[in-house]
Amino acid sequence: MMNLTPVQWVSHVVFHPFEGFENLRWKKAGSLKIALIIVTFLFAGMLVSDRLYGFQFKAVYDKVFNIVPYIVRSYVVFAAWVTGNWAVCSLINSEGTFRKICIYSSYALVPYVVQLYVNTAVSHILIQDEVIFMQCIYYGSVIWSALLMFSAVKAVHQYTCFQTILAVALTVAAMCIIMFITVLLMSLFQQVAIFIYELYTEIQYRIRV
Amino acid sequence: MHFKVKKLTAVLTACIISVLTSVSSVNAYETYSVYNYDRWGEAVPSQAGYTARKSVTGDDLGAGSFNMPGDIFIDTNGRFYIADTGNSRIVVTDDQLNSADSVLDTFTYNSQELTLKNPKGIYVSPDNMIYIADTENSRVLVCDQNCKVKLILERPQSDLYPENLTFLPQKVISDRAGYIYVTVANITSGALMYDKDGNFEGFYGANRVKKTSQVVMDYFWKLLAPDSMRKYMTDAVPAPVTNFDIDSDGFIYTCCSSRKQDTDVIKKVNTAGYNLFADYDISFGDYPTPDYSNTPQNSFVDVDVSDDGLINCLDFTNGRIFQYDEECNLLFVMGSLGNQTGTFTQVSAVESSDSSIYVADAQKNTITVFDETVFGSYVHKAVRLYNDGYYDEALKPWNEVLRMDGGYCLASNGIASALINKGEYKKAMKYAKAADNQWLYNRAFEGWRTEFINSNFSAVAAVLAGIILIISAPVYLKKRKKRLHKSEMEEQS
Repeated sequence: MMNLTPVQWVSHVVFHPFEGFENLRWKKAGSLKIALIIVTFLFAGMLVSDRLYGFQFKAVYDKVFNIVPYIVRSYVVFAAWVTGNWAVCSLINSEGTFRKICIYSSYALVPYVVQLYVNTAVSHILIQDEVIFMQCIYYGSVIWSALLMFSAVKAVHQYTCFQTILAVALTVAAMCIIMFITVLLMSLFQQVAIFIYELYTEIQYRIRV
Repeated sequence: MHFKVKKLTAVLTACIISVLTSVSSVNAYETYSVYNYDRWGEAVPSQAGYTARKSVTGDDLGAGSFNMPGDIFIDTNGRFYIADTGNSRIVVTDDQLNSADSVLDTFTYNSQELTLKNPKGIYVSPDNMIYIADTENSRVLVCDQNCKVKLILERPQSDLYPENLTFLPQKVISDRAGYIYVTVANITSGALMYDKDGNFEGFYGANRVKKTSQVVMDYFWKLLAPDSMRKYMTDAVPAPVTNFDIDSDGFIYTCCSSRKQDTDVIKKVNTAGYNLFADYDISFGDYPTPDYSNTPQNSFVDVDVSDDGLINCLDFTNGRIFQYDEECNLLFVMGSLGNQTGTFTQVSAVESSDSSIYVADAQKNTITVFDETVFGSYVHKAVRLYNDGYYDEALKPWNEVLRMDGGYCLASNGIASALINKGEYKKAMKYAKAADNQWLYNRAFEGWRTEFINSNFSAVAAVLAGIILIISAPVYLKKRKKRLHKSEMEEQS
């Protein structure tokens, strides 16, 4: 039973929100490579839905284009989620490893990622009056992904429902702390860089004079 | 691919050419930078719709130099009436602003001689009656062309008029029914309205109070406070009406010079006193910079409506004139602070004729004449046709406009609307996108889609059927497999 290829596992997990991740864990399946591909698709999907959306729904300010926000919204947020979840759950008797959390969480993102592409395509067919269909797709996929994510956290750490809710709440808090510290660190490093650069210009000036 | 490369080179060349030429060509003839706003609220260089032709002093007219001219009015015969405030006189000139016809400074009223003292407002009705806001004498004179005063309006003997306030009339107009409207400094309840016999009727067209958090908090505390406390609390009052003008349909346009107020800066008021611009989502004057690092401080001291319904607003802070069409779309911005012709130090009044705009400067003591350029005349023609609903007829002037200034959003809008009317949806989509107008694009796209489905119905139906088949086939096959499996199991048992 359940001898599926890695790609078949993804569809099995997505279409079986309640027992899918338990099966995945039981069979020790799931591939990190596919997980990273899913996150890459998330990044590309965000780009696609911002740049190629039907003009009647989204007017993009295209005088300036900056790719960094897209990287932050996909890769960095995902990394923060995995790290935060791993850090928090290590403290409350979890069974998940870092690798497993990464795989399970990314599998849970699949409906949301697919929605990005589907909605972008559909936005070139519908008009503003029919936006309700796109909203249905969007909210349906968000709820689906949230359900999968809950189930993923529950399965990977073998938690009860209540423990899962607690873990998710604490993970979100941990993500905020990670982001805060990152920003702090970056600004400090920037100051150091500015200091070194000032020293350099000062020395250069002295040498020249 | 080839097409893309071509497109890219075209865009690059256009960029290079515009960078090389824009600065020099746009500002070649103007003494100020000419700009307009794009859809994102960013100021972009634009073609000039008006060019400053000359500035006229009192000596040029042969009437002796002006001293702080406060108001200009053009009557139905095209003659100019200039309220020369500091010299306490009214200068009347011919319709070309070449020489003074007469100077009005003494008036007779019941064989009694009257003189003016710092008159700040002048208005001439279509039946040639002259209305003068005689500010320092605290009265408004209504006289005929022979300086015979027919009526004097004075401080209203009414409970409505606050006792402790002065009566300093600033500007005056009258409507077709003979009602006379007077703005008075430091009256916040609107303009004073008199009937044609000079009886005070009440206030007209007050501004609204801007609902800031401070105002809301004060209102809340006032609800709780006892009467003894309430006595010492101040009321929130709106900024007073600074100036006004009346258009050919009898609507009164008011402006407000307060820099703290951003509601009701420019109003179009009907006879019931209701502001027709109240529900428009527009702001007059300069926009804040996109990153909100700089918020403009516009102070509108005069408003003028031309016979075509174009609204000219005069900004005191930057010495600029903002011209809007009747739908409040910004057409042109002209003027600046400075000493050259076309720039100002202390603007006081704006007035317009068919193709010119006249601006009085109270410190340079001049009247500057702006003439419509070729570009301006195309825009005006197109706007007039477009706003009257002649989209197809407006197409030609809009194309001319776009040829001269490719960044003029209104032109792209107009062309897109015309093309939608004509049924050329694919092209309309292109222009709507160029104008960044999602609503128009949506309409064009809807038309294009309907057309596409009608002409390719069999193909669309085939694709839809194919999609449904692809989605439903695996589900069906799976079910069938399950059923077979089940029946096999049953047979076995």
